[in-house]
Amino acid sequence: MSSVESLSLEKGRGGGGTGLERSTEKISLLRMVFGCAAIGSLLIAALFAPWIAPHDPTLDDLFLINMPPAWLNDDLAYFGIEDAWAYPLGTDSLGRDVASRLIYGARLAVIVGVSVACLAALAGVILGALAGFYGGWIDNVISRIVDVWLSFPPVLLSIILVAMLGTTLTSVIIVVAVIDWTRFARVVRADVLQQRSRDYIDAARITGGSDLSILIREVLPNVLPLLVTLFFFEIGIAVTVETILSFVSLSVSSGAATWGDMIAEGRRVINEAWWVMAFPVGALVITILGLNAMGDALRFYLDPVLRK
Amino acid sequence: MARLLVTIGSIFLTLLGVSVVIFVILRLVPGDPISMMLPPGATDEVRANLERLYGLDKSIPAQYVIWLRNVAWLDFGMSTQFRLPVMEIILDRLPATLELVLLASLIALVLAFAFSILAVWLQEDSATLAIDGLAGLAQAIPDFLWALIFILAVTLFAPMMPVSGRFDPRTAQEFATNFYLLESLVTLRLDAFAELVRYAVLPALALGLPLAAGITRVLKGALEEAMAQDYVMLAQTKGKSRLAIVLGEALRNAMIPTIALTSVQLTFLIGGTVLIERQFSWPGIGSTAISAVINRDLPLIQGIVLVFALIFILINLASNELYRAADPRLRTAR
Amino acid sequence: MKKLLGLLAGTALATNVAFADDSTLTIAYNVSLPSWDATVGVSAVNPTIQSIYKSVYDQYIDQNPDLSFRPGLLTEWGWNEDRSKVFMVVREGASWHDGAPVTPADVVWSLERAGKEETGNPIQFLWSTLGNFTVDGNRIEADVLRFDPTIFKWMAFLTAYVLPKDYYTEVGAEGFEKAPIGSGPYVVDEYVANSFVRLKRYDGYWGDAPEFETVIFKFLPDASARVAEVETGASDITLEIPYEEYDRLAAKDGLNGVTTPVSDIGMIFINDVGVMEDANVRKAAAHAINKDLIVDRLLRGYGVPIDTLQAPQYAAFTAETTVAYDPEKSKELLAASGYSPDNPVKFKIQTTRGFKPKDYEMIQAVTGMWKRVGIEAEIEVYEIAKHFDLRARDALAPAAFYNWGNSIGDPSTSTGFSMFGPSPHSTWDTEDVDAMIGPLWGEEDEDARIAGYQRVDAYIAENAMVIPLLQFVQPIIYRDGLSVTPHVANFLLPQNVSSN
Repeated sequence: MSSVESLSLEKGRGGGGTGLERSTEKISLLRMVFGCAAIGSLLIAALFAPWIAPHDPTLDDLFLINMPPAWLNDDLAYFGIEDAWAYPLGTDSLGRDVASRLIYGARLAVIVGVSVACLAALAGVILGALAGFYGGWIDNVISRIVDVWLSFPPVLLSIILVAMLGTTLTSVIIVVAVIDWTRFARVVRADVLQQRSRDYIDAARITGGSDLSILIREVLPNVLPLLVTLFFFEIGIAVTVETILSFVSLSVSSGAATWGDMIAEGRRVINEAWWVMAFPVGALVITILGLNAMGDALRFYLDPVLRK
Repeated sequence: MARLLVTIGSIFLTLLGVSVVIFVILRLVPGDPISMMLPPGATDEVRANLERLYGLDKSIPAQYVIWLRNVAWLDFGMSTQFRLPVMEIILDRLPATLELVLLASLIALVLAFAFSILAVWLQEDSATLAIDGLAGLAQAIPDFLWALIFILAVTLFAPMMPVSGRFDPRTAQEFATNFYLLESLVTLRLDAFAELVRYAVLPALALGLPLAAGITRVLKGALEEAMAQDYVMLAQTKGKSRLAIVLGEALRNAMIPTIALTSVQLTFLIGGTVLIERQFSWPGIGSTAISAVINRDLPLIQGIVLVFALIFILINLASNELYRAADPRLRTAR
Repeated sequence: MKKLLGLLAGTALATNVAFADDSTLTIAYNVSLPSWDATVGVSAVNPTIQSIYKSVYDQYIDQNPDLSFRPGLLTEWGWNEDRSKVFMVVREGASWHDGAPVTPADVVWSLERAGKEETGNPIQFLWSTLGNFTVDGNRIEADVLRFDPTIFKWMAFLTAYVLPKDYYTEVGAEGFEKAPIGSGPYVVDEYVANSFVRLKRYDGYWGDAPEFETVIFKFLPDASARVAEVETGASDITLEIPYEEYDRLAAKDGLNGVTTPVSDIGMIFINDVGVMEDANVRKAAAHAINKDLIVDRLLRGYGVPIDTLQAPQYAAFTAETTVAYDPEKSKELLAASGYSPDNPVKFKIQTTRGFKPKDYEMIQAVTGMWKRVGIEAEIEVYEIAKHFDLRARDALAPAAFYNWGNSIGDPSTSTGFSMFGPSPHSTWDTEDVDAMIGPLWGEEDEDARIAGYQRVDAYIAENAMVIPLLQFVQPIIYRDGLSVTPHVANFLLPQNVSSN
């Protein structure tokens, strides 16, 4: 699990950055460019999968098992195909096209990542904001729940929860969101707590703003930079956890082409067909790198304190 | 004193919450220990009889009350798989996990300090960028993938490195405790110690790399900040070398905030043992947890989750305290 | 770092050389042994763990590598004329690892204990069919309380181990877990749960002395870890690895391989619900599967296609009952019920994943074949625990892949338990099948019983009430200098390994 969270979290607690990690303009720009490139290609693959992918990602062909990538494929006769580039990245242990699975995998990664991040952010922001804004017993109850949640070993809990809910895309999304909402709740609570005591909130109160409007108009915008950063990290975490669950044979079933599924499958034939595992691992790592870079860069650009 | 009592009370309250949640979840998971031990041909009476034997015929609240009452007397029940008291199994396996975690943290610290100091000392953009990139990569690859990469690399390039267990069972090692590493170090059995480290280094590295990256990011920032302070200027005018300043002045000032900021990340490392221990067949509570889930060993899962929870709570507490100590602004808040 | 690794590797080299001598056999084993009581609890019914139990304990009756029976602690056994009594003769000269002799009292105690409900023996329903034991010298007699024709076969099967009466009563259940003793060829020397067990040869063993003085079972549930173990020489022998890896390792210098079909089959349970009540759909599903292609391509030839629940080594196997691969016939059958590839019949199929070799991949391939004739099956992956739970509650999906082990090869423990409605493990529950199997449970004439099951198997195949796929093949990899006799019951017994 990424440890980026607590870093940003602690920064949040300290109030918009203790300035411990000083991102310079140049590095942030580099991060932004890399993040945009990685996320951009991910989104393109996800959106246009049916048009880009050369084959149906779930269609197996027992005569094309473990075929190497096109540039290494020197035995076309054995596989009975004419053009090696019909399967550019080779095939897996069921004869399915690795490139197509990789592209459709991007689509599922985006679906899982964004859904988890949205759900977790929604739950976390609401509960965190309530706790931070009202304090008192509301804060006590919510903080207590967060404490309990943070005390679970996350990997173990996700394995148990998926065993409970079954192996579908929806249950994987729910499980990761259920485990990770505290990430947002803690950050939002700490920030709101701090904002609450500021003068402009009092000013808004005096002019007769309702609690909700103060929260939405005055408090949340100040939390936004950190939220955006967290949101990007959360997408990466969701994709990673999906991989972990596949790894213990507990993820999305029905042959859906998730990267985690491909990695788990490729591991079994790694010595014979390295390409089945290598490409999704590469895609996963680049995606997470891209998301992290984007998160860091966005925090730099959005957060006036860090930018000073 | 009062604060201590409040803290202890809140620990218990949190543990109670954890126990309720896990108890209910486990009973909603399809499959139970009885289904796992029914052979072909078993009748419904056999099932009912076994359910009675294992106390699973009562309602969930009733089961919880019984369990809680026993826990009050430190009786966590019997493992259905191992047929031994849960507490005994956990105490037996916990040392292996703790030693692995300790070594992993040590590796993380050493790597992080080395790279951060290097980056700040060199002060060159290219070096900073390279170290940033490395840290980013170490962090982007989750621990279980590192483990996978190491195991593959060993079979290909270093067949002498072991990839499973704590030591070679062909060598009969005698230990008084289950803290093999610490014990061999304390009793100065250096041969055995080296052998044990050899078995532990890969799983520890897999666990420690992401944490190393996390610490590097924070420490490097802290060092950079410290280097911009006045006393550094002062030291420079006195003619001290840059490395001496980094190691002397800056490091001392960067240490506390770094430890405070990263100690909470230790929980991720500990949570990671669940998978890493399984991959390296490391006989700790993490690998035990997975087999307990697969075999629906409910009492054992409950016990292990509580132990993890206690460790996490303690680390979070400690990190809060450290943080409070490190950041004077927080001391006045609230 | 690299230097450090090299340094560490260097010290290890020395130690390895010092200890890896010919008298030690290290086995990279695929399951972890949780409990030493072979008669109670989860591990007692786990077929894979039995190899370790069989190294330490003796069974009442033993099995040869080809599944035929041979004397264990019992040298003779049988029924009286009217099947109202059984007799058993206990071997002389056998002794427990603490030196005490194995007596008929131990055998009686073990059988009685197994038959008591409160002990928690999961096969208690079978052991309780014997009672009122009397001992005369080395001969035990007992009353048959309920007749079961397979009781002596069960004496070579799950939970059929003789434990030491005096020792067990003295140390108690927990004490036994910590320091177990048996009467088998090996003594437990050191046991680290979830890690390994080290066994030492028992010199007082009654049978042929095994070759290796020390045997280590390393518990490695992860297949890639087992491959790494034999490949790096840390272990001498391993099993249950992917067939791709088997082929690769067997071709490597210094390693050899042997495979054997084992008493474990892969099958698709059919639940008599929804579309599966339509015989056309079931038959179409059965005829659409090209088992030969699956075995050849997916399993690289390591598998034996089967059409009934009997593998060729089982007592009731007959080559006469077959189910042909005939996709055209499948299409016709489906058309008769109004389905076609454009208007497919839809249902869910459940499968384990990574539990048996290529389990999930096989079901992927099967659904691919089904798709072509007009069956659209949605795959759901489940864990073993969930499968057991669903099966016990008769709540499996219309189709569900699982394996069925049957190391005694008897039809009652394959077709009987899996297809007989009242058995909690059956998924197909219809009166016609139950009426055919029912009388066979108590059939005294063995030939008639076997013939009866063959008729049931033919009827089931004809109506596609279950889809048997294949008999699994066990791949074993071992280092040069060893020779291994594989066991059809899927045991990897150290006493069956020798050096040459």
